[in-house]
Formats: sequence, C-alpha cells, structure tokens
Amino acid sequence: MFTKPKLTRQASIRPRLILACLAVSLLVSGIYVTVSYRLAADVNIESERRAMGQIISFIANIPLSDKQRSPLPDREVLSQIVNTDVASFIHVKSTRNSISSAFRIDSSVSKQLLDITASRNDDDDAIIMLNDRCFIWLRMSFGEDTITYLKETTLLDVTLRLVAKRLLITSVIVFWIAVWLALTLSSIIAKRAEEVNDKLEELATHDSLTGLPNRLYLTEILRSIVEKKEDNTHQGCLFGVDLDKFKEVNDSFGHSTGDKLLMALSQRILTVVQPPNELMRLGGDEFIIWAPDFTIAQGKVLAQELKNICDTTIPINGLEINTGASVGFAHYPTHTTSPETLLSCADSAMYKAKKQRSGWEVYDEHIVLSNERDVMLKAGLNEALANNELVLHFQPKVDMRTGEIVSVEGLCRWEHPSLGLLMPYAFIDLIEHSGKVQDFGRYIVKQAICCAASWQKEGIRVPIAINLSPYNLLDPGLIAFIEQTLTQAQLSAHFIHIELTENETSLNINYIQEALEKIRRLGIKIAIDDFGTGMSSLAYLDTLKADTIKIDRTFISDLESNKGHRAIVSAAVDLAKSFECNVVAEGVETKQHADLLLSMGCHIAQGYYYAKPMPEKEMKQLIETGILPDALAL
Amino acid sequence: MFKVNLNKLDRSVRGFIGIGVTAFALFNGDIINDVFIEVLLGIFGGLNLISLVFGWCPVYQLAGISTKDS
Repeated sequence: MFTKPKLTRQASIRPRLILACLAVSLLVSGIYVTVSYRLAADVNIESERRAMGQIISFIANIPLSDKQRSPLPDREVLSQIVNTDVASFIHVKSTRNSISSAFRIDSSVSKQLLDITASRNDDDDAIIMLNDRCFIWLRMSFGEDTITYLKETTLLDVTLRLVAKRLLITSVIVFWIAVWLALTLSSIIAKRAEEVNDKLEELATHDSLTGLPNRLYLTEILRSIVEKKEDNTHQGCLFGVDLDKFKEVNDSFGHSTGDKLLMALSQRILTVVQPPNELMRLGGDEFIIWAPDFTIAQGKVLAQELKNICDTTIPINGLEINTGASVGFAHYPTHTTSPETLLSCADSAMYKAKKQRSGWEVYDEHIVLSNERDVMLKAGLNEALANNELVLHFQPKVDMRTGEIVSVEGLCRWEHPSLGLLMPYAFIDLIEHSGKVQDFGRYIVKQAICCAASWQKEGIRVPIAINLSPYNLLDPGLIAFIEQTLTQAQLSAHFIHIELTENETSLNINYIQEALEKIRRLGIKIAIDDFGTGMSSLAYLDTLKADTIKIDRTFISDLESNKGHRAIVSAAVDLAKSFECNVVAEGVETKQHADLLLSMGCHIAQGYYYAKPMPEKEMKQLIETGILPDALAL
Repeated sequence: MFKVNLNKLDRSVRGFIGIGVTAFALFNGDIINDVFIEVLLGIFGGLNLISLVFGWCPVYQLAGISTKDS
C-alpha cells in the first residue's frame, strides 16, 4: 500500500521537555529540602544556645562564699543546673586561675574540645564535630571571667528525623506536581509546535495558488519509490501535463486570468485524478500526476482522459478559454528503473506530444535518442558555422508560361560530417533556441550574397531569395551587415530577395516594419512566405509593403479537389494584383496544379513539378539548360 | 463531562496509588504528625481516586493527551 510521504522531522521536542521539567523539579526539590533542613537546624541550634546562655548566666551569678575562691560551683550544684545525662563540660577562665568541670566526658576529649573553642571566635560555627560526636558550645564573659559551656548534642539527628519525614512526603508531592506540570506544558508546547510544523509542511510541500502538492512532494514520492525498490511488484505511472497555450493566455489576458485558469483547470483535472493518484503542480503550467500501481495500459487510458479534460473550455471573466494540453507519461519500472530519471522520461514524452501535437504520448527510447541527437547537433553548431557545413541548396521559381527561371530560393542544408545531409526542420529549432539566430541569419545572408556574386561573374543573372525569420530582423546590425557584404561582393541589391515567414511577423511589428523598410531602401525585394497560414491579419500585407506573396503549399496541394482552397488562391492572386505585388505558388507538384494556377492568373510557381531543391552546381546547370519543355504548362 | 482519557493500566496504577496514599493520610497514626501534609496527601490520593472512579485525569484533559486506546 502506498503511504503518503511526509517530510522527515526532527525528533519530537516532547521527551526533551519532559526531561527538562523533571530535572527542574528534582533541582527545586533538592534546594527546598536543603534549605528547609538548614533552617530547621539553625532554629534549633539558636534555641539550644539560648538555653545554654541562661545556664551560663545562672552559673556566673551564683553568689560565691569567700572560702570558695573558685568561680565555679561544686559539682553537686552544677549537676543540678546542667543536664548530666549528656556529655557536658564547663570551663571558667579568670585572671587568677582556670577551672573546669566535666560530666561523662574524658579529660583528653575535653582538652581537645577546649583547644578547638579557644581557636574559635564567639560568632563562629556553634557545632563542633569530634570523633563522630557532635558538640554545641557557647562562651560568655562576665567581668574577668570567661565561661565556656560545651555539651554533646543529638539535636541535628532529631531535626533530621523530624524534618526528613515531612520533607520526604512533600518532596514526593512536589515531584508529582512537577511531573504533571511537565506533562501539561510539554503537551501544550508540543501540540503548538506540531501545528506550526504541519502548517510549514503544508506550505513547503504545497503550491500556494492551487493548493496542490509541489515539487518537494514529488521528490518525497520518488524517494519513497526508491525505498520500496526491493519490492518488485511495485509499479506506477508518472504523467507530465503541460498546457499548450498558457503563455498566450497570460500575455493576452494578464496573470490573474492565468492564475484563475490554473485553479479552474486543476479542479477539473482532480475529477479524473482520484486518490491514491496524486496531482502536483511543479510551477507555471506544468502539472505532474503520480499514479501508483498503474500499468501502461491503464496509463494510456488516464492520459487520454487528461487530454480530454484539458481540452474543454473554461469560462473566466466571461471568456471561454481553452488552452489544450500535452500529456506524456513514463512507466516505472518498465521505462526506467531509476526514479530520478522517471520525471525526465515523462517530460520527454510530454515534449514529444507537444511537438507532434498528438495530445498525449507514452515514453519511448527514440525520444531520448532524438534528444541526444539534438544535444549533439547543438554542440556542433558553432563548428558548423565556422566550417561552412551549412550550405544553400536552391529551388527555382519558374514562370509557368515561358519556363524561365525568374529567381531561386536558397534553402539551408547542414552537411553534417557524421549524420549526412540534414534538412532545416532537424536543426532550425535548435538554432532558434541556442541564441545563435542572428549569427545564423548573417551567415545565410553572406552565403547568398557570395553565391549571387559568383554567379554574376559567370553571367548567371538570377536573384537568390533567402528565408529570414523576424528574429533575424531584430538584429540591429543586420542592415549594415547586408550593405557592407553587398559592397564587398560588388553585387547589386536586386539579386537578393528576402522571404519572411508570415506567421511570425506579428512579433514587434513596428520594429520589423522599420527594419524591412530599411532593407527595401537598399534595393532588396521582400516576400511574404507561407502566405495564408499565419496568424497575422491581412493588414500586415499593407503595413509590410511586400513585393511578393508566396501562397502556402497547403492551398496548392489539393487545388483540384478543394473548392475553398481554390477560392483562397484566387483571392490571394486578386489581392496581390491590388497591392501591385507578385504572386508565387509554392508546392506545385502536378501539371493540373500548374494549369489551374495559370487559369487563375498566377504565373510563377515553385515546386517538385519543376525542380526539387538542389546543390549549387546542379542549379547552375539547370539555369543554363532551362526547364525541360514537357514540364511547362503550355 | 468526565470524558474517559485513561487506559486500563494507567487507571489501575492510579487507583492503587490513590487507595494507598489516601489510607496512609487517614490512618498513619503518629508517623506524620502534621495536618498540612496529611491534607496534601489526602488531595493527592483523592485525585488519584477520582481517576480510578471516572477513568479521567484532569491534567491529561488540560494537556489534551489521552492514554485511552483509540
């Protein structure tokens, strides 16, 4: 059974708190017992000494007969005054003599005791410990006489006995209260800490916008898979879901709309992702779903469901928004036995789905191979530019009436040293994502100009058209570069045409317009490529002031059968006439195409029917020999 | 009001202590000789007896803990 992963926490603070409280209670009890005991002992000693003081005063004040020169009364008298049951010793020291009287005490001991008292001040400790016997002493002076009274005492033992019983019981009770206090306090604090921890864990492992678990949570899931690795029956599918047009929604309607969309969509996805399956959001428009114990077949079903649920419209601020999504998934352990790479496998599958617009894809190794090839190509790009591995192939644009080659389009090919000749679709994306778009643009411009210049020297006066993306036009130095290269090659600008892909001209239209205007001023003609397929409006035709429009091949390929396409082509031809620009049909493959186009008033065509793209050498040959007459529509 | 929050072991240990301590407080003769301490022991024993009777501990209640098997 799959258990929800938890963040690993430090050991609970509770045991430590209880220990601390217990230690404090022990300490308090200890201090309390000591202080109480000392207090009781002090009080007793004080009262004992007071009693002894009275006895000394009494002795000192006994009237003495003249015969008795001694200041000390007889033993008989003394024995009535002092308690003779305990060892006691009285010593009187006067200027004339000193005399002492001892009861139940050895003379050697009394001598020792007297020495000790002599070395002490009156304020010093009232207790003398000697040979495990405890004595209390007091010294008082009356005129010339100093009387010292010492007696053995069991006072401390009695105190201890009296106090100990009560202290023991009260200590137990204090200890008991302390334990309860510790329990209560620790529980309350631990509970608070737990609440805070829960909140923090929620914050750390969940996305604040949608409330879904986040990347950290995914990491925990992947880790739990590793832990269950020994269990061979464990399996599951990891899905990557990426919205197709989320960026556009954000850009067009603002981030708050984007956020609402994400929230609404996550709710919808949750309707098909039931526990124990987990939906997570990694950020942006990227969702991850972990479906434990799913087989590949089950995964395919879920992928389709996910794709369908994302392909519904969501009403936000009165707008019906449908972004669509691409779903990719990888199965553990079939596709990878390492949980760490599971996510990248799912991602690869998702990107493949996005690229192919297929909705959803399951991971397969070819994706990785193609990714690996992409990485390799990307690494080789610099070298390719330096070693002139990127070359131009040419396809003629033919006047269908005469067979004359009016111009040629230069198409880029990569003569890769190990992979052979590569078509643009294999590497154009890489270039656009590698930050070398502008270098590449200049490279192509230079190649075309050099080629046209050499042709001119050989007497071939056919213009060469090159494709530039609007990203190239954002290169501020491009125009100066073109001008300079033209001058160096001593080539007239008429021999260079630039074709611009329409569906991307919407990018910073003002700037592009300005750049195109400058290019036109150099004398270079501008064509709009793939006309009719882009997202831009017809207004661009006016703003961009193109010299030529090239009708996209999709309209030509089924010209005979598709009435709509015929209408579009015919409209495009009329439009071109009104704007006084030339019209070229792309993708002309059959004689029927050519005939139809001619009847519609389109005279220039490009396509396999006339010639495939070919290397420079063959192109020159073709220009010299001309298009074969049987290929002409006439 | 007295929601049971003690398990059997907890309850019986407290009962044992409660009976012992209360009996000691009441019938200790001359051992303690201090009313205050006898009262303290009485309260201590009494609380434990309450725990025995109701299976409920006021401190557990305050601390929000329970040893009762859920």
